[in-house]
Amino acid sequence: MLFDASFALSIVPKIVGALWTSILVALLSCVGASLLGFTLEIARRSNRLMRYAMRFLIDFIRSTPLLVQLYFFYFVLPSYGIKLPAIAIGVIAISLYYSGYLAEVFKAGIDGVKPGQFEAARALGLKRLQTVVLVIAPQMLRNIAAPMGNYFIGIFKSTPYLAAIAVYEAFGAALDISSDTFRYTEPMVVVGVIFLAIALVLAWLVRRLEEHLLLSAKR
Amino acid sequence: MSFLDVLSGIFQGLNVTLAVTALGMLYAVPFAFAAGIAQHCWRGLAYGAITTLIEFWRSTSVVILLYGFYYTLPSFGLRLSGITVGSMVLGLHIGAYGSQAVRGALQSLDKGQSEAGRSLGLRGWQILMLIELPQALLAMVPTFINQFIQLVKGTALVSLVTLTDMTFRAKEISQLVYDPPKIYFALLVAYFILCYPATIVGRWVERKVGAGRKLDHAV
Repeated sequence: MLFDASFALSIVPKIVGALWTSILVALLSCVGASLLGFTLEIARRSNRLMRYAMRFLIDFIRSTPLLVQLYFFYFVLPSYGIKLPAIAIGVIAISLYYSGYLAEVFKAGIDGVKPGQFEAARALGLKRLQTVVLVIAPQMLRNIAAPMGNYFIGIFKSTPYLAAIAVYEAFGAALDISSDTFRYTEPMVVVGVIFLAIALVLAWLVRRLEEHLLLSAKR
Repeated sequence: MSFLDVLSGIFQGLNVTLAVTALGMLYAVPFAFAAGIAQHCWRGLAYGAITTLIEFWRSTSVVILLYGFYYTLPSFGLRLSGITVGSMVLGLHIGAYGSQAVRGALQSLDKGQSEAGRSLGLRGWQILMLIELPQALLAMVPTFINQFIQLVKGTALVSLVTLTDMTFRAKEISQLVYDPPKIYFALLVAYFILCYPATIVGRWVERKVGAGRKLDHAV
């Protein structure tokens, strides 16, 4: 039998149970990648030396595969006596990988804020940190919400990489079932469909958000 | 083993990495153009069909696609080598992203262009080939370069389906000598050497072409 529907149904609970790990990793990575990406971008703007150093760091992150970065942290950190659970390594690696992309998004966002806004903030006597948090960030977020959302979807779709370092998330659970039962079709189809469905719903939400922001910007 | 010994050991896998990249491009570029143009031109049911196909390849996690096709195709009687499946899956995944650049570039053209073509008595395919595509091509270049980098990085995944690419070589070396920091840093450097030139060129082209494209995405 090519596709056993009842077997496929029977493995859904196990995969959905592990899906919560995927979602947890994705959420933590979204927060981590955003904070790190924003920090990288602000650092890139601080002075000349930092501009070149941060640009190189961002390019380095963007020029190496996520899988290799994952292996790097997974195998190298223990050699320096840092023992972390695999799931934490996964969150660190995904956060770092996507921070390189989000830094570019933040760059476009900050560049999109009119120079008059910086000048007005200075005229009002705001400090640098106040300017960034109170004036620039809120205006920037409107411009970059959609591309950020797309990268968040990318983060969610990257969580199956964690199976490569033995984290028990949805895809890892599917592989587990496959190696127990020697059946690949059903677990792969089930986990693929679940990820596809979630990614499509998220993409639809991002599109709605984009339309909404465009409308409210025109008003 | 010195750092350079490790690096040259890793580069023994370069031919597989390059082969998967090159074969992947053979899938990605035609698929991107065919799907993007189809999505631009078709209406109704045909539009729905091509959109479904694109979304399947674009929105499913690439790790799941690779495992899914590699392990389930044999049960449908299709015995394909890892390199065939790997380059097909990665190529079509990247091509699906590329198709959105093709469609976006075609749709951002002024409507007057195709109307002028029609008023000159040109046929639909003539308008596409002679008027629309030549103008849209430039706008696609930054995204295509970014997607090329994603493809090179994506090839690291084929090490999971037992191809001896650079990542697989690194794992082999780490079984011979225990020195994770050196081996995995060398692996990062190896991919950086491959991708950094494209990153630089991409950055330069993006500045020239302007218009921050939001379509590039991470594998």
